Amino acid sequence: MYLGIDVGGTHTDAVVLKDGKIVASAKVPTDHHNLFSSVSKALDSVLYDVKPHDIRRFNLSTTLSTNAIVEGRTEEVGVIVSSGPGIDPENFRIGGFYHVIPGSIDHRGKEVRALDVAALDRAVAACREAGVSVFAAVTKFSTRNPAQENAIAAAVADQADFVSRGHRISGMLNFPRRISTAYYNAAVWRTYNEFADAVAGAAEDYGLLSRINILKADGGTMPFSVSRDQPVESILSGPAASVMGTIALCDISEDCVILDIGGTTTDIAVFADGAPLIETEGIEVGSYPTLVRALKTTSIGVGGDSRLHVVEGRVRVGPERNGPPMALGGARPALMDAFNYLELTDLGDVAASRAGIESLAALWDTFPEKMAREAVEASVTAILDAVEDMIWAINAKPVYTIHELLADKRVDPRTLYVMGGPAMAFQPLLSRAWGGRVVVPENYAVANAIGAALTRTTVEAELFADTEKGRMFIPKFGVEEAVGANYRLADAEADARRHLLARLGEFEALDEDPEVDVTEAGEFNMVGMRGERGRNIRVKCQIRPGILK
Amino acid sequence: MLEAKNRLGLIFFPAFDWCISPTHPEREERLLYTQDQLREEGVFDIAGISEYKPEVAGREDVERVHFCFPNLEAVTTTSHMVSAGGAIKAARLVMEKEEEKAFALVRPPGHHACKSVHGNRGFCNINIEAVMIEWIREHYGPLRVAIVDTDCHHGDGTQDIYWNDRDTLFISLHQDGRTLYPGTGFPHECGGVNALGRTINIPLPPHTGDEGFLHVIDHCVLPILEDFKPDLIVNSAGQDNHFSDPITNMNFSARGYAMLNHKLNPDIAVLEGGYAIQGALPYVNTGIVLAMAGVDFDAVREPDFDESKVRQSPQITEYIKKLCEGMVGLYLDPPKRPKVGDAEGEWFVRDKDIFYDTEGISESQVEYVRICPHCSGTLKLETWSTLNPLSVGIEVPLNACDECNAAGKRLLEEAHLKGNYRVTQYINRRERRYEHYGF
Ligand SMILES: [Zn+2]
Ligand SMILES: [Zn+2]
Repeated sequence: MYLGIDVGGTHTDAVVLKDGKIVASAKVPTDHHNLFSSVSKALDSVLYDVKPHDIRRFNLSTTLSTNAIVEGRTEEVGVIVSSGPGIDPENFRIGGFYHVIPGSIDHRGKEVRALDVAALDRAVAACREAGVSVFAAVTKFSTRNPAQENAIAAAVADQADFVSRGHRISGMLNFPRRISTAYYNAAVWRTYNEFADAVAGAAEDYGLLSRINILKADGGTMPFSVSRDQPVESILSGPAASVMGTIALCDISEDCVILDIGGTTTDIAVFADGAPLIETEGIEVGSYPTLVRALKTTSIGVGGDSRLHVVEGRVRVGPERNGPPMALGGARPALMDAFNYLELTDLGDVAASRAGIESLAALWDTFPEKMAREAVEASVTAILDAVEDMIWAINAKPVYTIHELLADKRVDPRTLYVMGGPAMAFQPLLSRAWGGRVVVPENYAVANAIGAALTRTTVEAELFADTEKGRMFIPKFGVEEAVGANYRLADAEADARRHLLARLGEFEALDEDPEVDVTEAGEFNMVGMRGERGRNIRVKCQIRPGILK
Repeated sequence: MLEAKNRLGLIFFPAFDWCISPTHPEREERLLYTQDQLREEGVFDIAGISEYKPEVAGREDVERVHFCFPNLEAVTTTSHMVSAGGAIKAARLVMEKEEEKAFALVRPPGHHACKSVHGNRGFCNINIEAVMIEWIREHYGPLRVAIVDTDCHHGDGTQDIYWNDRDTLFISLHQDGRTLYPGTGFPHECGGVNALGRTINIPLPPHTGDEGFLHVIDHCVLPILEDFKPDLIVNSAGQDNHFSDPITNMNFSARGYAMLNHKLNPDIAVLEGGYAIQGALPYVNTGIVLAMAGVDFDAVREPDFDESKVRQSPQITEYIKKLCEGMVGLYLDPPKRPKVGDAEGEWFVRDKDIFYDTEGISESQVEYVRICPHCSGTLKLETWSTLNPLSVGIEVPLNACDECNAAGKRLLEEAHLKGNYRVTQYINRRERRYEHYGF
């Protein structure tokens, strides 16, 4: 049996699945001040009539790290970077203890200028005096050569509870993002680990002997042990849980769009050939772009609780929310009140909805029916416009080879899957306006928890090889191996695959039959200025995100 | 987060699956480290900088500009159409005001490709700037355009295409032709009979550094642009003036290139040559991108940069100062007729020999331009080469007067009547007729 818990903004959902069927489920309000108590209540509820030791797997999606960042409940981080020439690293200053140390590594990973040890000592001393005990060590091109990041980490080791090294978070190139990612990873480390200790303790108390996995934003999970060092990867996993839930509930094999219509927002995700699309670089956290991998999702401010208002004679929906709709005791009419008025739904106190719409219509000297209809239409239009914009942007994404440019593969979704509270009410309206198939899956209300329960463990990694230097490097795993002059792309792909599966094997019994996708692969003939030869090889691969059977 | 002062569109197309040959300078690897550097710097995350896919140029876009012998297919591959399409995309972004500026980081380059094309010269087949500029004029009207070519090699192809065009100002800064391919680009080459002073060549001595280049921009290029008042400034942004370039001898730096673009303030830049792919391109391109976007580029420099090693000598400084004094005068008061060629009735005639170094083709031309005070003049180009027998190209320019238009039609009839040309190509920009006869 699989147990999934999704700690959401308003509710914490839990399900236990056996052979794909729900055997227990629970919905408890989320207590923002004590997320652990929400997890514990949900556990209490679903484990009431399930034997804990039958549970093989416990997957948890939590907003803990996200909330800590959004609410500023993070710890001071000593951020120590070396940059070398380029954009002034002062532009990437983050937190109150940011130190730039002279030192430079170039794009081939060659150390051009050694780290200034005296400056590093001064930075370390300044952090010690301030009592900072978590650190981020980030250097430019550390994913080509981590030596300077490792040296910084070594310099702070005796005064650090935790050091986040940039190259271990992601193998991608992007110095500013690496800085903010490593910063946040260190900033939430302590809070996250305290929570993790509490969850581990509770699991033990309940007699849950299974592995625990934490959901990531990219539609995969990471083992509990990994999450303790990479807590930043647990942020914004909520939309991923819903998306993975849809995969579990529907048989998706083609291009499609998933809408999750909630109270305040509608989240949109796009699938190509049945696989969810992933953000090319990473998501934004607290207005800083990061390297945290995530499903490509767009969120717009249209949901059941979106406030109705009139601008220049036209009814607008959202993006702000003023409490619940009047049907549920709110003070101002919201989108769900318009649905109630038109008898498309019968949520809560329908009479209150009617009264609200009527008084708003009177205020603008119009018919309540017209007002309600316009509101509903405006919400449908806003959602479908956002879907169209997102697909346009996906298809406009740059490519770098003539082959890809001419092949011009386009995403062309013909099916819309709708989830969330108002999904059923929206279905016929979207169906009319969209022109394609609009499907509301069964059990859509707990799709997020189902997604959490069934999401597979994923790992991704970049490999970089330079045969002139005779070296292969997988930054994320800290793997460095010597390679011969005849090392080719095929060897690199095999190596990447081998290390990825080995890594997964450390976490899993490998009974899930994981599939490895090579998402990028390139091999370049290098001809140096003095006629030296070699090959520059890059491979990016991932365990394909998916759900357990 | 960093924010661009100017909204900048980047068409980054490294063509990672195309090369002239595996070890040729124009190979897959060329923009690899530039991509690494731009990504690692987080350039694509700067608010106001956006990345775009190139378009693919259509045959009409090339046939509007070039006479291709024996035909378009024989002298171009998809890579050229994509590279030209990248430049067109840059132009579209700027002309549609989607972006304020655009930089096409594309390959292969184009500035050695002349009006008549028999093959590949100096790594170029079709002139991507010219294809772009004529695409602009076709869709947005007859704009005045200034092209400033900052590649180390003389932009002889672009010069050839715009030799008679009085609405295009072509300024080339390059290493002196006595010391470098293609061996042309001297001050006396200052435009054809109808466009004297519209071509300005500034040959710089080997080892010219930042000081010299920026002096030319301040004291020659900017004053001339001030007078010409172009609607659009295009930088042919070759990067082989860099001190580390393997095939040239100049001392220009990444920061110098950035400063040049900051001063020149082009609307569109198009990448040309530059083959120090590890030591120069990553830094020069980062510098140009930041300068065009109006982002501080002060800390951009080569890792091994040592100013004392690339500083130009006082003699060079003196030489360049003198050279610049003469150039503005040449623009304002050009000679009454071109140095090479003769008037024969209403035609101005010159003979040219063109060598295609990459493919070893020798081409001979006789160029006839109708002497006309009203327009750029109709052109007849007789050409034969080691690949193609005698053929002809006839062009009626966009701004053609009635007489020149009539002359163009007459020339086409004559070519048909005489029948001595293997291939006849007819470009009538005024009537938008593009015709190809023969095989
Ligand atoms: Zn050049
Ligand atoms: Zn005329």
